[in-house]
Amino acid sequence: MATATVVAAGTKARTEQGSGIRPSGWVGFLFIAPNLLGVIAFTLIPLVSVVLLAFTDWNLVSGLGGITFNGIDNFVAIARDPGFWHAIGLTLVYVAVSVPLTVVLGLGLGIALNRPLPGRAVLRAIFFLPYIVNVVAVGMTWLMLMNPKAGLVNQVLDAFGIQPGWFASSHWALPALIVMAVWSGVGYCSLIYLSALQDAPGQLYEAADIDGASAWAKFRVITWPSLLPTTIFLMVTLIIGASQGFGLIALITAGGPGDATTTISYYMYQTGFQFYRFGYASAIGLVTFVGVLVLTLVTWRAQRGRALND
Amino acid sequence: MRRKSFSRREVLAGLGAGLAAAVVPGCSGADGGQSGALQVWGGVPAASGPGDVVKAFQEKFPQYKANYTRFVNDDRGNLKLDTALQGGVDIDVYFTYTQSAMALRAGSGLAADLTDRVKADPDLQVFLDTEQPRSYIEDGKVKALATAREPFFVLFNEKLRQQAGVELPETWTIEDFRATAKRLTTGTTYGTYTLPDVARIALGPNYWYDGDRSNFGDPHFEQGFRLGREMIADGTAFPWTEVLSRHLDAYQQNSFLGEEFHLWSTAPFNLRYLYDAKKYPHDFKVSFAPPPTVDGKDWNGGSYSNFIMINPKSPKFEAAWAFVKFWLTEGATPMLKGGKMPALGTVTEEQLVSGMLGKEPEKYFDLDSFRRVVLESDPKLAADTRLAGFPEINLAVEQQRDLCWLGEKDPGAAIREVRRLADAAIARNERRS
Repeated sequence: MATATVVAAGTKARTEQGSGIRPSGWVGFLFIAPNLLGVIAFTLIPLVSVVLLAFTDWNLVSGLGGITFNGIDNFVAIARDPGFWHAIGLTLVYVAVSVPLTVVLGLGLGIALNRPLPGRAVLRAIFFLPYIVNVVAVGMTWLMLMNPKAGLVNQVLDAFGIQPGWFASSHWALPALIVMAVWSGVGYCSLIYLSALQDAPGQLYEAADIDGASAWAKFRVITWPSLLPTTIFLMVTLIIGASQGFGLIALITAGGPGDATTTISYYMYQTGFQFYRFGYASAIGLVTFVGVLVLTLVTWRAQRGRALND
Repeated sequence: MRRKSFSRREVLAGLGAGLAAAVVPGCSGADGGQSGALQVWGGVPAASGPGDVVKAFQEKFPQYKANYTRFVNDDRGNLKLDTALQGGVDIDVYFTYTQSAMALRAGSGLAADLTDRVKADPDLQVFLDTEQPRSYIEDGKVKALATAREPFFVLFNEKLRQQAGVELPETWTIEDFRATAKRLTTGTTYGTYTLPDVARIALGPNYWYDGDRSNFGDPHFEQGFRLGREMIADGTAFPWTEVLSRHLDAYQQNSFLGEEFHLWSTAPFNLRYLYDAKKYPHDFKVSFAPPPTVDGKDWNGGSYSNFIMINPKSPKFEAAWAFVKFWLTEGATPMLKGGKMPALGTVTEEQLVSGMLGKEPEKYFDLDSFRRVVLESDPKLAADTRLAGFPEINLAVEQQRDLCWLGEKDPGAAIREVRRLADAAIARNERRS
């Protein structure tokens, strides 16, 4: 102990006297400067800009001098905009269907992959693959699979007398996008669940076995409560991700047919980058942000409450 | 050796230098900053003509150096150009291809006033025409000059036309077009991809607008939607489910070259797919027919386009104007290979043939009909000048057309929805302006 104290004291002495460098908080800033500049330039400034622009009428092309502050006009217009409410409705349906489906299927797959299956590691990699595949590749593949005439999916469904138009039908385009989103997300969920399952308390399962508990009872009383924090995490991240869903829509349907897949993210893109109504698009972004925040908090609080009660 | 400690001022100076180093290159122009060279931004790849125009310009004017930068003519590409223009990037001359972008740029001080130069030049007097305008004139000021004319025509697959025993029309109506498509429809091919724009042929430029409201109450709009729907339903036009699910709108040429349909209403820029059989293999000739007429009206669906503009912030106005004038009058020949017919018609017919139809024109084209329809006719072309809410209206038309042609919505209901959305867009935009 005494030796350690002496060594530490000697090190301090060398640092302060031998090197001549005085510790300073400013030196730290120098080291984090590259990241700090990036955050300021690409996160903080755009964030503040969007909030400010939400109260303006601006088309970008007119330059900074063309910015006109219009108070809360954009928010009043949003309240009266049927296109906005249609997009919100579609987004809620998209989130409400795709997120629970992804979580439930991810949980089922996670439990299945947690069993001692032959080739388990390979199976895990295969199921995780859709999550890391580029959105363009995913879109193009599903576009071919769901071709109403020549697609493999419809060739199979044809045996049951079903022929959905998928992306060429305003009734089927959103379900098709949900199928793709679920397919892309299930592998990710299962992997997260898998790691949570491997942390589950083994002694509780042993006790339950001794008590003669059924598999369902063990899942309900031991597994599910231990997975609740993971489920909360997945629900929150998936809700945020789904409400921002854009890539596949832009790539495959461009919001159509009609406005059947114009979710709020795509509507925002149309308003800003096709109509050049940047003030209005910023206001939509701000309203959407608040909406997603509220939705996330509600989900988080509700699930957390249940976890504590359990 | 004593090491130096960092003072607060030195740290701040270091941060500032780092910031400057990071930001300055990002703000520079295509050649690394303000330079003596003329900076030209366009949407056509340099290898498809602009590179040769720039080269010819420099040969004629060795005192000027010019650089051509390509932006992709889509939403993102146009946003890049707009941001660059606003951000002070070194751009002297640029092109605008869509009317909605034109309205924004010209109306927001991004286009220099060219009126005096045009008025002073006898070669350019046609740009003062307001009946069939070839320029964008705002408040009496010429802001943009069309470099190309893009008339529409109807292409026939000659092999399939002759097999079907259909006569090549020299004048025809929209009803004739429908009947021809029906005769050309077989068990394996469709008569046509889509039909020409009925309302545009009948109403001409600015056909979406009527005073301070939209013009979608005109019956020709519903007629066009209904005709398309009926032709798709009876199998004489390409099924719209296929068009949407295969994204054919941007790749129509593939289906025409693959002999999936016989009639193709299109414009000169698509001829580049038809003379290059190495890149786009096919073994048939194409022949040309003019667009059909509607109720005796014969506006061509095409227009004067590819507008060239000068950035008012350019410090090289003289060089920029020299370049604009050169492109318009004597320098546009290289653009023919991309199907860009010069707006001023300063090329010979033989140059047009060899430029637009490739090295073996007789092998892939019926030259008689090409001369008759493209070279010798004088179609009624114009450019739209009413642009309030243009992008919103365009989206509404496309969305409702899709629903109608998929068979999900009645043509009358679809047009009524377009009218409602267009009226709202016009009112909103005119209130803002």
